[in-house]
Amino acid sequence: MVEILIQGAVSSAIYALLAVGFTLIFGVARILNLAHGSFYALGAYATYLLTTYDWPLVPAAIVAIAFVAGFGVVMERVLVRPMRRRSLLAVLMITLATALAVEQLLFLSFGSEYRNVPALVSAKYTLFGVDVAGQRLLTVVAAIVLIGLLWLFIQRTRLGSAILAISQDPEAAQYMGIPSDRIFSIVMALSAALAAAAGILAGPFLTVQPTMWLLPVVKAFAIVVVGGLGSIPGSILAALMLGYAETIVAYMASTSWTEIIGVLATLLMLIFRPAGMFGKRAAF
Amino acid sequence: MSAILEVKGVTKRFGGLVAVNDVSFSLAAGEIAGVLGPNGAGKTTLYNLLTGFIPADEGSIVFQGRQLRGVAPHRIVRMGISRTFQLCRPFVGMSVLENVKVGGLAQPAPPEGREAHAQRLIAQVGLSGKENMPAELMAYGDQRRLEIARALAASPKLLLLDEPIAGLGSGEIAELSTLIRQIHADTGLTVLLIEHKLHEFMKLVNRVIALDFGELIADDVPERIVAHPRVIEAYIGGNVPETEAA
Amino acid sequence: MNRRALDTVAGAPGRMANPAPAPLAHARPAGLLGDKLDMAGAAVFVAIMVVLPLVLDNSYLLGVLSVALIYALWAVSWDFMSGLTGRENFGHALFIGAGGYTAGFMNTVWFIDGWWSIPAAMVVASVFAIVVGLPTLRLKGPYFALAMLSASVIMERLMLIFWEYTGGEEGINGVEPLFDSPLSFYYFALAVLLLVTVALVMLARSNWGLVLRAIRGDEATCQAAGLNVTWYKIASLLISGAIAGAGGAMYAHYQMQVSPQVFTVVLTITVITMVYVGGMGSVWGPIGGAILLVMMTELLRDFGEWRLMIYSLTLILILFFLPEGFIAPLWHRFKAWVGAKR
Repeated sequence: MVEILIQGAVSSAIYALLAVGFTLIFGVARILNLAHGSFYALGAYATYLLTTYDWPLVPAAIVAIAFVAGFGVVMERVLVRPMRRRSLLAVLMITLATALAVEQLLFLSFGSEYRNVPALVSAKYTLFGVDVAGQRLLTVVAAIVLIGLLWLFIQRTRLGSAILAISQDPEAAQYMGIPSDRIFSIVMALSAALAAAAGILAGPFLTVQPTMWLLPVVKAFAIVVVGGLGSIPGSILAALMLGYAETIVAYMASTSWTEIIGVLATLLMLIFRPAGMFGKRAAF
Repeated sequence: MSAILEVKGVTKRFGGLVAVNDVSFSLAAGEIAGVLGPNGAGKTTLYNLLTGFIPADEGSIVFQGRQLRGVAPHRIVRMGISRTFQLCRPFVGMSVLENVKVGGLAQPAPPEGREAHAQRLIAQVGLSGKENMPAELMAYGDQRRLEIARALAASPKLLLLDEPIAGLGSGEIAELSTLIRQIHADTGLTVLLIEHKLHEFMKLVNRVIALDFGELIADDVPERIVAHPRVIEAYIGGNVPETEAA
Repeated sequence: MNRRALDTVAGAPGRMANPAPAPLAHARPAGLLGDKLDMAGAAVFVAIMVVLPLVLDNSYLLGVLSVALIYALWAVSWDFMSGLTGRENFGHALFIGAGGYTAGFMNTVWFIDGWWSIPAAMVVASVFAIVVGLPTLRLKGPYFALAMLSASVIMERLMLIFWEYTGGEEGINGVEPLFDSPLSFYYFALAVLLLVTVALVMLARSNWGLVLRAIRGDEATCQAAGLNVTWYKIASLLISGAIAGAGGAMYAHYQMQVSPQVFTVVLTITVITMVYVGGMGSVWGPIGGAILLVMMTELLRDFGEWRLMIYSLTLILILFFLPEGFIAPLWHRFKAWVGAKR
């Protein structure tokens, strides 16, 4: 029971980091970024690469996150922005193509075998009578801290208000002189950084291989459908729901069935309440 | 003349806002009537209710003896109500002819054939020779004519026009007004139109339904509407409509 | 056998952004069958495809061409729905895989004759189309695209997870071929492709196609004009999916095995790239796209691992520089040139 509580928290933490970034860039820039999983993958791989050059972990992780954030900004500027003028689906296409290109890049550079991203915390702890890897605990703590910081940033800073303004009414925000292009870049960087952090935290205990971008995107989509596209609280709540649902099913039945949960939840939500729990109307 | 449309006690709320409040009126077949009101009076909401796009909270809408509440929008079109929109929305990537043809697809093929039917309507609205032009590249005035042709393609009995002369220059306004009058005279359609520009409005319609804050405040011929105290209050107290042709 | 071209290439993607200026609609040729030049071009193409294997007499190339024909079937079916309506399906592999595994199971587990797999595959794929399409096609936004993506990914995962039943990574082997000779299969695939393409082109040029293109042009207005837009989208998806499923079954019998590869995102992206190359919305153009891309793949054999990388870069380049495609617009340019010469 305690095991479920803890493992569920770990899963939820990773899902939350992924989903919040995904929904953030959507809420602000209307970009459904299928390359979001690539940030996750790049975070893990970049950290791994630096450690093979004998970098200590913490600097490696920080540099990796910065790199991925930069990559996200460049990707948005160079690839996504021209497509926004065409249509939302052109944006989806280009992000999908980018995700595939990144996957192939990783495949060509690192091969398809699983890589080992070392854990930031290798100690094991005992919590309420259950043995937990320190890394997993760190994941939960880090997720809470990072998302908490993001929330504070949005609620308390001027930049954060600008972000809220744009997500509510892009045109009005522009009339008020808010530089939306620059804000999109910042939000993209934040979104990428969160995903990269998830990859680095999860790397040690989840698989690191070139195709690791796909499932996070599918799960992130499921989570934001349930939580409501563009709603951060919704994403967090839905991430918790999915994380725990999967963990419970894995313990009670078997891991095989966990994949279906997300899909089923998505399907049911789309049938009965497409706006999700907290989202605005599905139309946009 | 019998009433082709009977609206009784129709109410629509959006959360706390009452967009349309207990509105009742009826339209006789072959009338050309207008809906007047400042911004936010509920005119477009009324149209959305009539066409089934949004469900009414209360009241009944009876068209040719049939209740419209709860009927899907595409069925309502087939029953004989067509509408145009405030902003021209042609089918992008298709020609004028194709646009008009699609307008008629909701109904069974007319005896003359869909192609001939569409060509006839294109001629009727004055767009002859432009059938193969991509719709979105035409001048705005022509797009307005296309909207009307497309709405007519569904062989409506009741035509709802939503600010048909919005965004046009004075010459175009006169032409379009003439066109609407002509179509009404030729086909005997019942026409309801929303318009802001009082001057043109009054020349076109023989009856005005005035709304303000969702309520029906007057229902009368144009000459008496302009003298109606509540109408004056709605306009002087709030938005003043343009009384001259732009 | 005649194949026809649409007189306009479905141009602008949607209401939201500024639409790309559409090419001037050509003078509308009579009826559903295009004009004489289209007929001539189609006849030439068919003649080449019929004669090619006999002339080349190379079993390896025959294999390449056969695979190209099946890819063409998938690409044409994708274009019919997504190319015309603009509602892009990012999970076409769902239908392909459904068809493939249906064939695999029927043939190796239940020992049913291979010829039943094709109709069965079409039915199974249609069921998938309804399950995913019905809830998502009535919504605005990217739900349909992403739901299809998710569905195909999940199916791939499920095939791996339940490996005891599906053969896992290896998949199902020992699927019987439909024909004894590869040449017979080639002609069968060619016949199916041509039949399907003619039918879809005719449908696209009919009033049905008009509605699909109107959905792309302005879906809300199309709805307001009295058309049951959701119904059209779902029906088109059903057709698209059933054909893709049939192709999947054919593929399974040809390769004599089915593996989770048939559910992958890579397969969907490959098919979409073929459509982009061929000309989005033309319905017949993707045939050229498929043949071109499969040949390119063969030429890139030497690059081995770089193949998919080159694919994805190609797609990115196409999205930027040739979103209207390449083959169908070229044909239209050619027709215009011929017309001017007269």
